Amino acid sequence: MFGLAKGLKYTLKNMTRKKLTYDYPNEPLPLPDRFRGIQKFYPEKCIVCNQCANICPTDCITLTGKKHPDSSKRGKIIDTYDINFEICILCDLCTEVCPTEAIIMTNQFELAEYSRDELFKDLVWLDENDTQLRKENKA
Amino acid sequence: MDEKDKERLKKEAAEKARAAAQRKREEREKKKEESHDSVSEVNQTKDDVTSNQDLEKQKAAAAAKAKAAAIAKKKAKEAEGTETEPTSNQDLEKQKAAAAAKAKAAALAKKKAKEAEGTETEPTSNQDLEKQKAAAAAKAKAAALAKKKAKETEGTETDSTSNQDLEKQKAIAIAKAKAAAAAKRKAKNANESGDSEKAKAIAVAKAKAATAAKARGKTTQAKETEEPEPITPSPQQPILDRYLNIVKEHYKDDILEDSYINRMSKHVPTIVVKLEHYYSLALLFKQHSGLHFEFLSELHGTDFETYMEIYVHLYSFKNKQSVALKVKMDRENPRVDSIASIWPGANWPECEAYDLLGIQFTNHPDLHRIMLGEDWVGHPLRKDYEPYDVEV
Amino acid sequence: MIRTEEMLLNVGPQHPSTHGVFRLVIKIDGEMIIDAKPVIGYLHRGTEKIAENLQYTQIIPYTDRLDYLAAMTNNYVLCHAVETMMELDIPERAEYLRIITMELGRIASHLVWWGTYLLDLGATSPFLYAFREREMIINLLNEISGGRLTFNYMRVGGVKWDAPDGWIEKVKAFIPYMREQLAGYGDLVTGNEIFLNRVKGIGQYTKEEAMDYSLSGANLRCTGLAWDLRKSEPYSIYDRFSFEICTADTGDAWGRYQVRIQEIEQSLRILEQAVEQFPETGEVMGKVPKVIKPPKGEAFVRIESPRGEIGCYIASEGKKEPYRLKFRRPSFYNLQILPKLLVGQNMANLIAILGAIDIVLGEVDG
Repeated sequence: MFGLAKGLKYTLKNMTRKKLTYDYPNEPLPLPDRFRGIQKFYPEKCIVCNQCANICPTDCITLTGKKHPDSSKRGKIIDTYDINFEICILCDLCTEVCPTEAIIMTNQFELAEYSRDELFKDLVWLDENDTQLRKENKA
Repeated sequence: MDEKDKERLKKEAAEKARAAAQRKREEREKKKEESHDSVSEVNQTKDDVTSNQDLEKQKAAAAAKAKAAAIAKKKAKEAEGTETEPTSNQDLEKQKAAAAAKAKAAALAKKKAKEAEGTETEPTSNQDLEKQKAAAAAKAKAAALAKKKAKETEGTETDSTSNQDLEKQKAIAIAKAKAAAAAKRKAKNANESGDSEKAKAIAVAKAKAATAAKARGKTTQAKETEEPEPITPSPQQPILDRYLNIVKEHYKDDILEDSYINRMSKHVPTIVVKLEHYYSLALLFKQHSGLHFEFLSELHGTDFETYMEIYVHLYSFKNKQSVALKVKMDRENPRVDSIASIWPGANWPECEAYDLLGIQFTNHPDLHRIMLGEDWVGHPLRKDYEPYDVEV
Repeated sequence: MIRTEEMLLNVGPQHPSTHGVFRLVIKIDGEMIIDAKPVIGYLHRGTEKIAENLQYTQIIPYTDRLDYLAAMTNNYVLCHAVETMMELDIPERAEYLRIITMELGRIASHLVWWGTYLLDLGATSPFLYAFREREMIINLLNEISGGRLTFNYMRVGGVKWDAPDGWIEKVKAFIPYMREQLAGYGDLVTGNEIFLNRVKGIGQYTKEEAMDYSLSGANLRCTGLAWDLRKSEPYSIYDRFSFEICTADTGDAWGRYQVRIQEIEQSLRILEQAVEQFPETGEVMGKVPKVIKPPKGEAFVRIESPRGEIGCYIASEGKKEPYRLKFRRPSFYNLQILPKLLVGQNMANLIAILGAIDIVLGEVDG
């Protein structure tokens, strides 16, 4: 019986402690800067090097480039950029390899949709996803 | 022609080519003795089937070779100076038909001249081209095999270039070597890419106009300079020796295929046992007081394309030592004794190996497809696995 | 005389006490189990097959999903295998970060086990306390790696991120807090008579049986065998820390419970020393070639995960992708003994025995 009494003491002691639960979703969840959420994409920074699509372990990134409209400039600019969030595992490797930081992580993590098709995010959507951006992007 | 037939065809062709290569090697061995040539020997027991991809590349290489030979013939002795860069794959593809035809003719002539038995086993096929490809592939295969062996004897590899590049370079080197050889009108050299193809090719590339004989002379020089530095014996070597002594005490015959220290794996003593002695050796490993491996740390299989392998990592808490026990088996019908009766912990890992690789374990208490279920088609970790999906 | 008849009963695959999708087909005679057959594979994702087509860096996120309660050790075992093959030197700071994160992960993993095991046995409140503390660890790991469970933190040759400002201090502050809570756990559960009656003498096996069945981790140490790879075959920089191998000699669920609780304490000791010795400055990424290509050959390394001995076998052809990658998953090996433990036991002990083995189904199925 002594063991039970000791246990009860611990329980009672914890009753006076302050609450630790989060009031999500009424209040946003506090997340560290490095948190890997949905990517933000900067079309103007992209140099169409394809490194992100190559490093992606699940092959969820598809992109196409086109010739630079200003013929005096060399290189390519981005034409389409899609991430399939049905299979994206938010592993951060795409942002790690990007030489120009054209793709970075945000603290957004809410991806619930009513249809699978809506999980297929395109360039425009990824460009507009510009809240809670990650400040520190390279180690 | 379905996949199996093709596979069989390729294998047969490879078999034939190997026999030819072997004969040629023997011949050359004789020659070497005469000229006191000291090209290092290579063991000649290995690999049958390479992957389709490799075969494709080898085909390209073979085509380039044949092409080079043809050019060399035309240009007679100028060939010594010419460089026959293999062009892009597409071009190669185009050349292949023509070149292969030539190669085929040469091969046939050679075959008729040199072999009495190997002529009639040519498998029938709907297209001539198919045959030619097979022949060319077989030839290339023999060359590739010899090359692989040569590499293995050389020991440490220090390739910095990517594989593709290497492949291309090899193709170039082969083509060059070939041109030189052909210029000498030694048509029989066709298959004789020989032991140290790579070293030789480098030598040829350096000398460019060297004759085949000279090239061979150079090979030895190149070999000597490439000799790896002597390595200090592993700290685990005495332990391995002790294992081997115990094994020797208990078996009259030589039951081991190989034994070495795997430096890459934290110097673990590794023993490769012959298939039929696998179970009894495992039993000895557990029961002998000097070995006493009572803990089976890991068991898994691997498909190495030419054979299947079971890797068992054992540990002895008593002696604080570990050993890696390996056994190789036939790939088409992999079958091995179960060691689940020695270490009950091997039960599920063996089921896993059966499930994912199709290895049959005889005398296993309950061999079933532990991960995928009994209705799964195929064994996914085999390298020739094709996903089967009824809905597609 | 009460007449009973045999009955076949399916436990799982969707049963909360199996901690994942694990199915157990048991044959019962009244209340007694007379036969048990585990059915696994519901969470098999073919990691090893997928890995054959991936570069080594790309495999690291997949290892997070094997043992998802202690992903840091999984990250480490892959990196360690590649580093062993390539003979890479790891910067000191990276080694310390690895040890700190791995030990935090070990504590988090044991906390989950502690909470859920007691939940299985019918005690609800310990689960909440355990998750309260675990949440703090997860926040720490989230801060350094950017993920709560799937860290993807380690890289071949080092770690991805350096510790953020003030992070080491947070870990330092966490250690005494966790110690205090651990003492509270002792008061709450360890001396509880009801709990002791539930676990003492349950699921007992001998040292020989444990070795025969390839058990590892706490399942092996509970039989009195002092075997911990951190100490017995030190990897990384574990030889710089003083800590003890926790053992018990009962070989039952109670022994396993004691071993795990003590291991939390030992992990805290390692953490304490690691944050003390943590180098002020330094690189966190060693000199590695841009494309990771281990030389041709094979290697098998094993390290101590919270659940036992996790191993990684790589057969390399000198290419960017492994020719064959195989994980020795401790839960898979540990689960094998379950049918043997269950036969002849009372139905009510089923969950107590299963829970004490501490399995993670992501790891069992691979």
